[in-house]
Amino acid sequence: MGHFIVRRLLISVPVLVLVSLMSFAVIWLVPGDPAAVFLDASATPQQLAQVRHQLGLDEPFHLQMLAWYGRILHGDLGRSILLNRSVTAAIIERLPVTLSLTALSLVFAVVMGVVAGLLAAMRHGGWADQSIMVLALIGLSVPEFWLGLMLIFAFAVRLHWFPAGNFVPINESFAGWWQSMALPAFTLAAVQMGFIARMTRSAMLEVLHQDFIRTANSKGLPWSVVVTKHGLPNALVPILTVIGIVTGGLLGGAVVVEQVFSLPGVGRLVIGAVLSRDFPVIQGTLLFVAVIYLLINLIVDVLYAVVDPRVRLE
Amino acid sequence: MARLTRRRLLQAGATASVAGIPLAATAQSPAPRRGGTVTVALVQAPPSLDAQLTSAQVARDINLHMYETLYARDENAGVVPDLAQGADVSKDGMTYVFALRPGVKFHNGKTMDAKDVVASLERFRKIGLASILLSGVDTMEASGPLEVTVRLKKVQSNFLDTLSSPGTPLAIYPAEEAVKDPKDFKFIGTGPMKFVEYAPDSHATLERFADYVPNPNYTKRDGFAGRKEMFIDRAIFRFMPESGARTAAIKTGEVLINETTDGPTAKQLGGDPSVQVLKLLPFALQIAKFNHSQAPCDDVNFRRAVTACLNAEETMEIAFPDIYKLDGGLVYGYSPYYTKAGTELYNQNNQAKAKEFLAKSKYKGETLTFIVDNTRPPMDTATDLKEQLGQIGIKIDIKVADWPTVSTLGFKPEGWHFWTHGLGIEPYEGPAKLMSIWANGISQTKDDPNIDKLYADLLAELDMDKRKAIFAQFQTYMYENAVVIPLGNYGMFQVVSSKIKNFVPYRIPRLWGTWLEA
Repeated sequence: MGHFIVRRLLISVPVLVLVSLMSFAVIWLVPGDPAAVFLDASATPQQLAQVRHQLGLDEPFHLQMLAWYGRILHGDLGRSILLNRSVTAAIIERLPVTLSLTALSLVFAVVMGVVAGLLAAMRHGGWADQSIMVLALIGLSVPEFWLGLMLIFAFAVRLHWFPAGNFVPINESFAGWWQSMALPAFTLAAVQMGFIARMTRSAMLEVLHQDFIRTANSKGLPWSVVVTKHGLPNALVPILTVIGIVTGGLLGGAVVVEQVFSLPGVGRLVIGAVLSRDFPVIQGTLLFVAVIYLLINLIVDVLYAVVDPRVRLE
Repeated sequence: MARLTRRRLLQAGATASVAGIPLAATAQSPAPRRGGTVTVALVQAPPSLDAQLTSAQVARDINLHMYETLYARDENAGVVPDLAQGADVSKDGMTYVFALRPGVKFHNGKTMDAKDVVASLERFRKIGLASILLSGVDTMEASGPLEVTVRLKKVQSNFLDTLSSPGTPLAIYPAEEAVKDPKDFKFIGTGPMKFVEYAPDSHATLERFADYVPNPNYTKRDGFAGRKEMFIDRAIFRFMPESGARTAAIKTGEVLINETTDGPTAKQLGGDPSVQVLKLLPFALQIAKFNHSQAPCDDVNFRRAVTACLNAEETMEIAFPDIYKLDGGLVYGYSPYYTKAGTELYNQNNQAKAKEFLAKSKYKGETLTFIVDNTRPPMDTATDLKEQLGQIGIKIDIKVADWPTVSTLGFKPEGWHFWTHGLGIEPYEGPAKLMSIWANGISQTKDDPNIDKLYADLLAELDMDKRKAIFAQFQTYMYENAVVIPLGNYGMFQVVSSKIKNFVPYRIPRLWGTWLEA
């Protein structure tokens, strides 16, 4: 197993180099000048040049790239132009919000998605199967910003069950955190829930038609035991793959959901940075999110190996 | 030396009309009540709470509750003393001696003196975002415990305008904070509220500064100056980018002031007794710029054809329904410099005249580029202008991008012919700021010696009446030569809970002078 993990880690290195190059290239590829964000309509070209100089944007390409690699090799993602603080600190401040949102959404998506998928597979062709698949399709099709606003309208404005978007850190109050996170996490989970439910259903249907299931049935085992003990473990590999992909999707979706629910997470940081061309923040968060994705993929690969010994042996 | 006090300045601006600013306050309570927390929804997080380092509107919303300046703007944007008692200006206009208000306390308990003022202005000159504002200053010194003397390199008639600018405020900090590295700066000012906490992208909390002594020279709230009495104990500024979430929060009572909302939401909330929908008009002047470096916009006949053709009323009605005012003045109606000079050429809507000018122009039927940022009103403005100009045969291609992209392109001499956007703070601050946009060819991307001369004349002229005459000349020149297309003033809707009393819309959601009902 150790060799397997080391091999997977080594494979990640070229990916990281490529992502870091792409992160650096952002500053040259995206139109718009961060210096312009600081200045108003009466700014002179001299002022613009002065701000560009202060921000180091007038340095030659190769010098900027060398400085970028020099910094990231020391674990320094640079300094935000607009926030006037280190990018690492800005990300770390906001990370708990995004991680807790993603984690709660993942729990919602996996638990509800897998249960719904199992139920649909077990009631294949029946009204429960049809209803679940229709709901899954709706979940997949509804845009997150629209669903978020509808949930705010229903549960915050009408029913007053949840706040309209006031984030409470978990260390301040668990109940407050749960209240502030429930709607955003459900919104974020809705799309992925549908995805997991569909995948679980199709993986289970495939497994349930295998010979060993028929054997288990013919042994007279209860159907619930057949499904949970023999069916589900064998359907886990494709489900795990989907969960890995879904986790990435949740991180991406968090950008929209954080905006709608006014959550102070990494997604808000990225949107603000893109709109103001705060390049160090864009570059830093791009690299940071890439590392998270690689870690998620690594964990999923390790789990494959745990669930399916054939992967280890390959 | 002529003493420039609040009274003299007010007299100078006596012709100002107050009609421009909506003075209809929220429902009055018989007596102010102290206490309570007010949550204000802002559209985004401020880049910085260090007032000298940002010009963002959202930063101003918070910072101008914490920090004060030597001079400030009154309700009609007139320049009046705030932390200063007044200024003695030498006859040659080169030396300003500021007498400071005694007994002003910083939030750290220290009493403000001349050293703090000099250190703060020096800091601004060194690292302030708009450090160029003080580039005309030769020396600054603490000439007494409560006296600061500033000598200029040359006459700068807008020097007090500069000191009172809310754009990037020349905020006064304690000297020991002013000399610190900006990243170690503690948010300490002299304002009626003091800093409590800042949660990035979430909220900023301020609380009433118990030792604040309202300026005794005033009897009432007046713009960014006046008597700043805080009745509210605590203010939480929440950063909520999503309009729907802000509306939901004000409906649930989580938020008591929504800085801005759109027209349809304002209409929808109009019948809700728990909130009041207020208009802040004017908030900005919508303009369409020509790129004078590019043919055919370098041809005055072409520009005149465009301005003759346009129906500004139609454009404003489409882009800013229910929240616009047709006004050809380049500064707001309440400014002492406001003039109608040249405005007979505003909103002409005369296609026959436009075609005559077009026939004499260089335009040969080519497609021209109209750049615009991706927010709704400017896009609607561009679309309507394209339609109107299409009727006299001018072909336009609209290119939409986000603000950083458009604003980078818009200062280059190539790649565009037209650009529309709003000017908010410039018409508010007055002629010098407004004229600086076209001085040195900045906005039209090509030098215009006539504009440069008028701008230089204005800066060198100390007499108010003569400055007014220069500005009238400038406005006439802008219209006669179709340098730019002024389309009209637009405003914004603000939503305020009925629990808030005595709130008057202004350029920031001003909390001093307001209170919560019992």
